[in-house]
Amino acid sequence: MTFAVVRLCAMQELTLAIRARATQIFAALFAMLSLGVAASGYILSGGSGIQDFARTATSLTELVLFIVPLMALLVGTTALSTDRGAAEMLFSQPVARHAILWGKLVGLFCALVAAQAIGFGASGLIIFSQSGQEGVSAFLIVALASIALTAVSLSAAALIAGAAVGRRRTRALAGAVTTWFTAVVLYDVVALGVASLLRSGPASRLLIIATLSNPVDAMRTGVLLAIQGTTAFGSASLALLRFTGGPTRAIAMITASAIFWAIVPALAAARRLDRADL
Amino acid sequence: MIAFHRFTKRFGPVTAVDDLTLEVTTGEVVALLGPNGSGKTTTLKAAAGLIRPTSGEVQIGSPRMAASDPRARAGLSFLPQRVAFPGALSGAEVVEFYRRLRGVDRASAEAVLQLAALNGSSPRAVSAYSGGMMQRLGLAVALLPAASLLLLDEPTAALDPDGLCAFYGVIERRKAVGQTIFFTSHQLGDAERLADRFAILVEGRLVALLTARELGDRLASRGVLRLRVDREPPDLLERVRRIAPRATWSGGELVVPGASGDRPAVIDLVRESGASVVGLTAENGRLDVFYRELVGGSS
Repeated sequence: MTFAVVRLCAMQELTLAIRARATQIFAALFAMLSLGVAASGYILSGGSGIQDFARTATSLTELVLFIVPLMALLVGTTALSTDRGAAEMLFSQPVARHAILWGKLVGLFCALVAAQAIGFGASGLIIFSQSGQEGVSAFLIVALASIALTAVSLSAAALIAGAAVGRRRTRALAGAVTTWFTAVVLYDVVALGVASLLRSGPASRLLIIATLSNPVDAMRTGVLLAIQGTTAFGSASLALLRFTGGPTRAIAMITASAIFWAIVPALAAARRLDRADL
Repeated sequence: MIAFHRFTKRFGPVTAVDDLTLEVTTGEVVALLGPNGSGKTTTLKAAAGLIRPTSGEVQIGSPRMAASDPRARAGLSFLPQRVAFPGALSGAEVVEFYRRLRGVDRASAEAVLQLAALNGSSPRAVSAYSGGMMQRLGLAVALLPAASLLLLDEPTAALDPDGLCAFYGVIERRKAVGQTIFFTSHQLGDAERLADRFAILVEGRLVALLTARELGDRLASRGVLRLRVDREPPDLLERVRRIAPRATWSGGELVVPGASGDRPAVIDLVRESGASVVGLTAENGRLDVFYRELVGGSS
């Protein structure tokens, strides 16, 4: 019964997300930017033409880290903080509230992954036709990281929407934007600022914790480690690598961090929803 | 079917419902009346499992289970006060979603869509629906499962006369097959027409719980008898006041407020006095007046 409810709610949410203007804009924007990144990679070095998969992957990483959490948080929070009348009708049905939430999350995840697939697919096809398949694994790693970041951001959106149950949707959206700004923009600045005030040992430990605590940072480190090795690392990533003793263990910890952030906030949101007054 | 036992709900410092004990038995139609903010919606939402009691218990079904248990809600259907559905879905898609969620057959879905009489708008996006159409769609969804308990929060608030007529028809049919209905309304006509019992809440407290018969008696005791007589015998009013102390002469009529049971005795007194009754009007008390008495007296 629960699986059927999850599937039914997922199908409905997928339909709604596909029809939503925000998802359509995200799909178009992501496709345009992905194509733009692939087509303009040589501009800074004075050249022109489509760059290969490896170079596009490196350029796409920052785009993914910036835009995917923002869109997933906004789309997720909007969809999950339902109108009161709609929520009352839905949650008075004889099904567990958490089953409805999981269904909605699955549907949103599928819609956002489909939107990103358009961008990755379009740029991937053009790169393949112009530059061949060299470096395609790096490109696929970025796509995988983008999917993981979508899951993490939707999980956070569920928690934000759950915390704002019974309040106005704008409040939840404000929470989503604040979360994005903190995780993507502010967090690094603060972590590096505080670390610069400490001695080497405590600073390293702080940076390791900071990297693993913020899924966006963890994902950035993981992707760069996977596609570029240690050549493009910053201080936080190097501290993590020294702590874990090698790239394999570092990637394992980063994967664990991503899984944690994709599941735990959603579980907390489900628990909150099960107990909330609607 | 529904049992509130010392049910209290507080939202921060505000007590929405205070120590409510009320049972709605199988097959009954109970109207929950009260002014705005009296706790009607909170009471109904507690029965629908949407809010949990601060103290006390709310149980539904047979055998009784806590209303917050999803299994208990298998036998109920709820229509919220402000119905809303995702604007990007059509009316037909909304009904189809709830049909599948409740495991209802397609024929029932078609029947409720017909009942909703959306005038060919069921394939249109819900975002284009008027308030009345949304209410009709909400009713269609609420009536979709053959649930033994129907909870309706101001079901007629946005309905036009046709919708109202269709709604009364459906509720009377559901009542006839023994469905339990617990509803709130500000339309006293709805309550008078449909309910077997009336519960009146004021400031979260139950101030009156009456059967339709008890209500009829109360209203009758608040009635007025107007007698037009051919002449005014000097001692008639004094003799009538021994039975009905508030009796008075008004514009050539003997106006006798009071219980309907006293009326034959008053007419006998008129005849004994030598006067003839040339016209007679008997009115029962009105529900809205009685309701205002209760609400005003309690607040």
